[in-house]
Amino acid sequence: MAVLSQPQVLLHKLRLGAGRGTGFWVTSREAFWIALEALRAHKLRSFLTLLGVVIATTTLIVVMSVINGMNLYIADHIANLGANVFILYQWDWTTSGEAWLKAQHRNKAIRIEDFEFLRDNISGYKNIGAEAGLGGTEVKYKGHLMYEVNLSAETPNMIDIGQAKVESGRYINDTDYAHESMVCFIGQDLVDEFFSSLDPIGKEINVNGIPFRVIGVAARIGTTFGQSQDKFVQIPLTTFRKVFMARPELAVNVQAWDAQQMMVLEDAVRALMRARRHIPYKEDDNFGINASDTIMSLWHQLTASIFAVTVGIVAVFMVVGGIVIMNIMLASVTERTHEIGIRKSLGARRRDILMQFIIEASVMALAGGAAGVVLSLLISKIVNIFFTSSVPLSAVLVGLFLSTGVGLFFGIYPASKAANLEPIEALRTEA
Amino acid sequence: MLDGPEASGKEKRIAMGTQVAPSSTQETMTPPVGVMIRTEDLWKTYDMGEAIAVHALSGVTFELERGEYVAIMGPSGSGKSTLMNLIGCLDTPTSGKYWLNGRLVSELSDDELAYIRNKEIGFVFQTFNLLSRASALHNVELPLVYSGVPAKERLEKAQEALRKVDLVERMHHKPNELSGGQRQRVAIARALVNNPSIILADEPTGNLDSATGEEIMGVFERLYESGNTIVLVTHEHDIAAHAHRIIHVRDGKIERDETVK
Repeated sequence: MAVLSQPQVLLHKLRLGAGRGTGFWVTSREAFWIALEALRAHKLRSFLTLLGVVIATTTLIVVMSVINGMNLYIADHIANLGANVFILYQWDWTTSGEAWLKAQHRNKAIRIEDFEFLRDNISGYKNIGAEAGLGGTEVKYKGHLMYEVNLSAETPNMIDIGQAKVESGRYINDTDYAHESMVCFIGQDLVDEFFSSLDPIGKEINVNGIPFRVIGVAARIGTTFGQSQDKFVQIPLTTFRKVFMARPELAVNVQAWDAQQMMVLEDAVRALMRARRHIPYKEDDNFGINASDTIMSLWHQLTASIFAVTVGIVAVFMVVGGIVIMNIMLASVTERTHEIGIRKSLGARRRDILMQFIIEASVMALAGGAAGVVLSLLISKIVNIFFTSSVPLSAVLVGLFLSTGVGLFFGIYPASKAANLEPIEALRTEA
Repeated sequence: MLDGPEASGKEKRIAMGTQVAPSSTQETMTPPVGVMIRTEDLWKTYDMGEAIAVHALSGVTFELERGEYVAIMGPSGSGKSTLMNLIGCLDTPTSGKYWLNGRLVSELSDDELAYIRNKEIGFVFQTFNLLSRASALHNVELPLVYSGVPAKERLEKAQEALRKVDLVERMHHKPNELSGGQRQRVAIARALVNNPSIILADEPTGNLDSATGEEIMGVFERLYESGNTIVLVTHEHDIAAHAHRIIHVRDGKIERDETVK
């Protein structure tokens, strides 16, 4: 009997290895087509199987999109008080719980004297302005009446600090301010209501029964969470004090030149206010200094808890979806035992069959994920009409990866069951 | 001479548990050139529980030369199907040794057996065993898929195999669009496509009418003439008569081994 020499044995092994290397892609591609074919052949079954994964992916992406949309919104409209602006107010916006109850007793409103004191005693700022508000105002022009208008009283420099931009006419100027003029600057909603075909400039409107002359119109801001931000009337703070409220509670807006100076100014304002109010060093401020980052941090706390809940819900959906996939894959293995036998008789190895079924489960779950992505894009579009939603790419990727992963994980058991079938037993099973 | 390296090989396998390295030592024992199949005292025992053991094969020893056309004949229950499954590496013997084309395959792992089935054996089954959802062409391509042949080369080889059985023009049809004879010819093309050492046909005419059966036997005759080794398993005398050697099996043993032509 001939004996194979060592080099021959080695050569044989090498050839075996090489064949399997390229074979991986060939068999994987075959598995991929089998998977698509299986999806196509059993449309209803696939749909029902994948419902869980579709719902999970949709939920995940929609929630991520809404949070993302709100994030963008906050960044754009709320947190962006204007570049390098912080606001001194009676309350710290981020206070909650016990601290809030305590603050309710201790904190005192910011008054016009505080504003004037700060204006005169700190230096280096770009702008310092003040504003006061009065909600639920009635505005009337000729026969038309508008309720729930936000009336705010401003110093002239608030146009440089706040969000409003002049579209036509002009903003409140120093002369208006000094002379307590009966003038107003209005938002686009009022223009739509009262002056749809007229030039509003110079017209006289009644605010809570008091006549004001329109001197300017603001550019449209848009809506925040479905609420119009253009339904406002702004008048000089001095006029407001004369006509509506002698001692209004103010929000003092301080604008710095840059972010670094902003921190310096915040410290200066805090020190001055504490000194002015004689607060002992051990005690907390009885006023609040609010900047974009305060709002953002509050916001992130909130979204983090929303997100945590979502993750929990999505996890449950995904597990349920995965189990349904596993169930259907187990049925599929039983149904296709004969096919597995044929494939094994033709030389499919365990790993080929394993791959086939794992790929099938993954492709199925991926298809569910993709359906979820499409569905969530649609839902996001609809939500964006009345609220806000913006689909981040990361959400789509996470959705797809997660659903594929679920298919992969829950496909392992059925696939290994298929792979471990004895070829002869499988072949004997009736098709 | 045979039980030198093999015996130690088997012990090594047991010692190493199920993790078996590609068997090189076992393969080094090569029967004389020209011998395609050699079995030595093959046993296949089914344990039916309650200490009842059924011997499907009890000590089968035979040799088969390259280029032979052999029929394995016997009544149902004689063990001929078990023998064919062992020869086809679909099953492993309870004991005994089996060399295929110089390799001791009776002790290979599952994946190694899959490799042997893929490269060395072409099956033709009574019930055709084609994938019903795949076209004739794809069915023929399947063994090549599992040997990792790239798509283009696969197509060429599969078409070539279909040409040998005169079915190129119907290669895009699915099995249910083909007649029984055509289906069996697709199965033969599939068996041929990887250039196996032996073609193993299990009652290939069992599901066909006699005219179509003759046609299929004609295809085997042509394959034999072009140098293929064919093992035919049947219980029909007139089908077995096409072979040049008939091995009669009864009660798990070789009853008679006769050369016909």
